[in-house]
Amino acid sequence: MRLLPTKPIRLPRLRPYVPSPEDPAIFWFNSERDDIVSEVSRRMVEAHASSRGALEQALNETAFQETQRLRSQRGEEARESLGFWYGLLRRIARMTDEEKRETLQRIADRMAKDVAGNFDPRVYALSEKVVPRLLTAAMNPKGLGRAVLQPHDRIDQLLEVEGHVEKLRRLVRVATLVFVPTHLSNLDSVVLGYSLMRAGLPPVVYGAGKNLFTNPIISFFMHNLGAYRVDRRIRAALYKEALKTYSCVMIERGYHSLFFPGGTRSRSGAIESKLKLGLAGTAVEAFARNQLRGIDRPVLLVPTTINYELVLEGETLIAEHLEEEGKARYIIEDDEFSRLDRWLAFLQQLLGLKSGCIIRFGDPVDPFGNPVDDDGRSLSPRGEQVEAASYVSRSGKPSLDPSRDMAYTRHLGEVLVDRFRRETVLMSTQLVAHALYRRLVRCTPGVDVFGRIRHRGDVSMPRRELVQEIGAARDALLSLERQGRVHMSSILRSEPPDVIVDRALRAFVGYHVRNAALDVGAEVTAEDPTLLLFYQNRVVPFAEEIADEPNMKAAREIARMGGLR
Amino acid sequence: MSRPVGVVGSGPFGRALAKAVARAGHEVILWSRGAREAPASGIRVTSDLGTLAAAELSFVAVPSQHVSELASSLGAHLDGSHFLVHVNRGLVGDSLETLSHVLQRVTPCRRVGALAGPLVADALARGTPGGGVIGTRFPEVAEAVTASVASPSLRIYSTEDVTGVEVATAMVGILALASGYAQSQGMGPGALAVMASRGMAEAARLGTVMGAAEVTFFGLAGFGDLLAAMLGDDRPEIRLGRLLGEGKSLSEACAQTGTNIEGVDLARRIAARAARAGVQVPIAQAVAGVIGGELSVAQAVERLMTRRPTEEHR
Repeated sequence: MRLLPTKPIRLPRLRPYVPSPEDPAIFWFNSERDDIVSEVSRRMVEAHASSRGALEQALNETAFQETQRLRSQRGEEARESLGFWYGLLRRIARMTDEEKRETLQRIADRMAKDVAGNFDPRVYALSEKVVPRLLTAAMNPKGLGRAVLQPHDRIDQLLEVEGHVEKLRRLVRVATLVFVPTHLSNLDSVVLGYSLMRAGLPPVVYGAGKNLFTNPIISFFMHNLGAYRVDRRIRAALYKEALKTYSCVMIERGYHSLFFPGGTRSRSGAIESKLKLGLAGTAVEAFARNQLRGIDRPVLLVPTTINYELVLEGETLIAEHLEEEGKARYIIEDDEFSRLDRWLAFLQQLLGLKSGCIIRFGDPVDPFGNPVDDDGRSLSPRGEQVEAASYVSRSGKPSLDPSRDMAYTRHLGEVLVDRFRRETVLMSTQLVAHALYRRLVRCTPGVDVFGRIRHRGDVSMPRRELVQEIGAARDALLSLERQGRVHMSSILRSEPPDVIVDRALRAFVGYHVRNAALDVGAEVTAEDPTLLLFYQNRVVPFAEEIADEPNMKAAREIARMGGLR
Repeated sequence: MSRPVGVVGSGPFGRALAKAVARAGHEVILWSRGAREAPASGIRVTSDLGTLAAAELSFVAVPSQHVSELASSLGAHLDGSHFLVHVNRGLVGDSLETLSHVLQRVTPCRRVGALAGPLVADALARGTPGGGVIGTRFPEVAEAVTASVASPSLRIYSTEDVTGVEVATAMVGILALASGYAQSQGMGPGALAVMASRGMAEAARLGTVMGAAEVTFFGLAGFGDLLAAMLGDDRPEIRLGRLLGEGKSLSEACAQTGTNIEGVDLARRIAARAARAGVQVPIAQAVAGVIGGELSVAQAVERLMTRRPTEEHR
């Protein structure tokens, strides 16, 4: 049986790496790896060993799902695996309980090994030096010499890191952090990994789609920086358990982690409002399990937003969102991410924009949605300390209770959705797209989203009016920002409205195949409603509050369209 | 259960609930703002919120407009191990925030719920057969509530759909008011039945927008509760509706019924909220119009009856 066709590339190890005591947990990962894998598979088997039926069902379901999946695949490895699963399906009925248990143990072990990552401190040190150089060089091949000498300059201008960085630096020592970012692009994990490095925060473990491992260079870095592999093609429930258990064990052991609670990139461009809570649940469970063992280490979730002036895969994402079938298709094999020329065009374009990408680390919360102080202790709504342990206890005794933890996880999901909105950093392209799309809605009453897509280039507005509307919307956003309900890029916050409009219009022309908006002298044309929709969707939760009276009706329609009532 | 059960609020419902809990064999701590006598043995009355920390489960039975402030003070004495369950018909503010959400927002407690259904003070106090539903996402809260009040004469069901329970029960208040009103106008069973059915349908529409499950509205918190009100379990909302129908002013009618009634201002806020969400709630709108004095009864009835007929289930 082979679940994995590709073997990770690792650097040969001549002498063992001895981490220093102040190194974050991940530097110790390799020495703990085997232990973690066996803990994961032990728990998986335990979960099914309680009854004979459960054991047999787990085997049957896994074998069935795997044969379904492998039948459509070619190659020696797939055939070999398929043989194993067919054999298992034939034998299950005749197996003794002990044999079933052993077989499940073997499968669980394989799955856990397949998932488990690797961390090589040498690669970490290397990537700290190399990644900015590579990125910069990719963006500006002509200036290679300069880029190698001063690699950080350009990247630092391109990427801005803001938010509660100081607090997080303190907290990494006393708590286990789980970063939960919004997700728009496959660049997110790279951008975030680099931002953590730059903010002086330790590397994190995270699950990366196996499709990202097909590029050998990216694969090399991912493997050796602690990414674990998530194969979305495997549908077996047992595999999902392996992923969750792995995440849980890692958090319990104090490894700072990262996962995208949206589950996949936001197709519509909107801020996530529905979360996939499976992995968030492991933060709750890990905390409860530690309490049960007498380990009182806070587990904290860090709502993080990744805000782009331009989104690499924007065109594909919104097209998928609009296509009904698109919604069901989970992995896009052929999008901008897999095409080098699109990368280069994108980076080139983005680099022209100072702070084209802003990463904002939000204020962390405990697994029960409470804010925490600088030492990671949970705070009540009145600002008083509250024992996080009390949430998993009854009459002072901690316990494990999956249905209770599920309810906590749902609450946590609601808190994160709220935090995502508050920690969003609005960018100039998004606001300008919103003003243009709003005008389109105003000019096409009673038409639905699909009807509006066809109005390519039909609606224009005087540039003067656009500038004035952007000014008014920005003022309204300033007041929302003061109330802590959203953030703005420094450009959006302080540049004159006509500069904001210029910047957005420049960004819209050149990278995407189609131009979102066109500057035609005194008029600005809503050239591509689809792309405008994509960028403006970020603004939807605030649409009603930033609209002036003539635009209120359109704003309301936009707000409803987003399903946010 | 070895720990005492808390009841916050000593209005008619709070006292009746305290009696029901005491009857089920539990020690009760009844919090009252002013000094009060214990309504029955086994009930300890206090005006110190801190005392409630001893109870794992507390029922919050104060009028909705006081819940936020009181729960915030109560929260200072509680932590994540405490369960809070409210028994209100209200929804708060223009956004119609549910009270379970308010409890989670202003206290450190997360394990919260809403107890609803055809439970009226008098029957609870006397222990006549009946039932209710506890809405909570936490099975352990449902168990604790059932253990504290259920008895051979009181059946408690449970559902995870807290929002559904809270929106349904709020809408029942409004529909009971409308039903009292309609009765005073001499409307027959047919008209009342249409109003009740269409009223629950609009409640379900609004509820689903707020994240509730439609089916909850046709259970104990919705139809069950409305049926009890219309069959005459002496609901204050029905009495208020009748008095209004007889031409009493709102303040007169409120004074005469003597209890705090959540439905009056709520109808207006529900109508406004539904309009923002693009959901049709004609009955709530009519109630709001009549109470606000913008519509006469005849106008309200005409408006409702001349709406274009549509399919019943869309």
